[in-house]
Amino acid sequence: MVDILNNVVYGFGVALQPINLMYCFFGVLVGTLVGVLPGLGPAAAIALLLPTTFKLAPVSATIMLAGIYYGAMYGGSTTSILVNIPGEAASVVTCLDGYQMARKGRAGPALGMSAFGSFIAGTFAVIALTFVGPFLSNLALAFGPPEYFSLMIVGITVLTYLSSGSMIKSLMMAGVGLILSGVGMDTIAGKYRFTFNVQALLDGVGVVPVAMGLFGISEVLMNLETEIKRDILKTRVKNLFPSVKDWALSAWSIVRGSILGFFLGIIPGGGAVVASFASYAIEKKMSKHPEEFGKGAIQGVAGPEAANNSAAGGSFIPLLTLGIPANPVMAILLGALMIHGLQPGPLLMTNAPDLFWGTIVSMYIGNGMLLVLNLPLIPMWVKVLKVPYWLLYPLILLFCLIGSYSLDNSAADVVMMLAFGILGFLMKKFGYDGAPLILALVLGQKLETSLRRSLIMSHGDFSIFVSRPISLAFLIIAVLLLIIPIVTQRKKLSALPDE
Amino acid sequence: MGRTETIGGFFWLFFSLFISYESYRLGLGKVNQPGPGFLFFWTGIVIAILSVVVIVRSFSAKASEGEKEATAGKRRLTKIVSVLIALFLYALLMEWLGFIVVTLLFFLFILGVVEKKKWLFTAAVSVLITLLTYLVFEVALQSQLPKGLLGFLRF
Repeated sequence: MVDILNNVVYGFGVALQPINLMYCFFGVLVGTLVGVLPGLGPAAAIALLLPTTFKLAPVSATIMLAGIYYGAMYGGSTTSILVNIPGEAASVVTCLDGYQMARKGRAGPALGMSAFGSFIAGTFAVIALTFVGPFLSNLALAFGPPEYFSLMIVGITVLTYLSSGSMIKSLMMAGVGLILSGVGMDTIAGKYRFTFNVQALLDGVGVVPVAMGLFGISEVLMNLETEIKRDILKTRVKNLFPSVKDWALSAWSIVRGSILGFFLGIIPGGGAVVASFASYAIEKKMSKHPEEFGKGAIQGVAGPEAANNSAAGGSFIPLLTLGIPANPVMAILLGALMIHGLQPGPLLMTNAPDLFWGTIVSMYIGNGMLLVLNLPLIPMWVKVLKVPYWLLYPLILLFCLIGSYSLDNSAADVVMMLAFGILGFLMKKFGYDGAPLILALVLGQKLETSLRRSLIMSHGDFSIFVSRPISLAFLIIAVLLLIIPIVTQRKKLSALPDE
Repeated sequence: MGRTETIGGFFWLFFSLFISYESYRLGLGKVNQPGPGFLFFWTGIVIAILSVVVIVRSFSAKASEGEKEATAGKRRLTKIVSVLIALFLYALLMEWLGFIVVTLLFFLFILGVVEKKKWLFTAAVSVLITLLTYLVFEVALQSQLPKGLLGFLRF
């Protein structure tokens, strides 16, 4: 306990350095911006800005990139409420009741409540992270290769289970991601794989160009085809501070959303999108007037908004303590940390305490900044929304071009990104989800190494994965997740509206 | 979904079989000393099985939605293709022409040709954006954008 307090104080020391404060501010500002802009999600934004952090200290870089992620959770709700277009996937549900509230002239309380709910939940998640993080780090020190292998398998199955569309296709995409991770040098045997004498493939397939292609370029191509219509409500946004009655209705929704979101965030493969859907479902069930949902119930805004922010906080846990990214955004962040020469995992806390605690504490500060930033700046974000798409999309494309080039100052990365942009576009058309591909691509090398090490350890006996209790538990979860959809024919949470 | 599903399934089937074949050539190793191709050989096999499932299902499903979309957007398709061509040209020419020239051309093309805005307006916006992004990325963030043709100016 005293230890943790000491560490938090130390973290404040790091996070309050003017330079880090500045990057934190910059991160949440950019995050809110990409959250507001439809067609540019946090994953693409982090990938985009990653090359610009190469010259920064690792702590500042991580603080900024983290800020983009949880900042986007705030920003996304603004567009959901005012325009009925989710700025990013995690605020899809907010449209249901948020937009209805706005139509009834209650845009102010809706925006206000989502900001306060986000703030409360975000802060809750950070506090929980402070306590759970060190505990899990210690636990993870006992992990050997078999445990890591099984845990990563769980992560991939959870994501395929939750991702939109057919589970079979998601599993296929995870497999493709795994194969892509094998491109380049095999570190154990010292042999090149799948490079086909192409110079650009010798170093392997980078996560960032793939993510930019799959999430950035392909999204623009999709939008070019469908053409987004945006009718911004003409109502003036007033009364941002929710009334006492609104608070009374929403208080428990926020509490439930925070707790639920946090735990869904921790689970690898879970995350903000799922958390928001789950919270909406629960709020509707718990409500005495479920018929009001979809017609402007404030709980339908407060709960999911709290849940997605809390999940965003929770998803840092597996990354910082186990070195395992819980979702594509964390996958890119993992890539970022590795580029900065850090190996996320149980040792991160001892090897780089400034990074671990500095980043966590910066999230307390960032959440405060977001609250201040969001409420008064809402009129400005609405203006941003009015940027016409014909101007916005070439800009997004240009940022992707610059971003992928600056990774390594090579045009080969740009071509690779564009190729994955086309692939991503086709995948969307054919109903294949890109998220499992990215996650498997990031985890791939570690997954393969731990599999091969485990088999070497056990002299080729596969029972090593089931004879060790922690590993066995992980595998049971994975198998259950694979069986449940076959048995129950359940309807997917995330399949409700299209992403 | 019908035909599109079948095409997708076959694509991944051939892809995965190719990967398995390649992995086999890399060497599977022994179980107690797995080789470089071990994991990917089996991954390929699993994807192949899954894609067969997708193909089989696509035959039993009704062929419906896929066809409707095809007619909806021929004009949109030309738009997508022109944007893609512009993107690839950008990638191929950026090191030779340099950031400033290539970005300017890119915006002139997108705004003027693809979006058919007025030329004076297009020119003004393109110049403005090129300058702004140059200032942000090269001057402020110190990304090393390619200088290309204008390299002799040393700015």
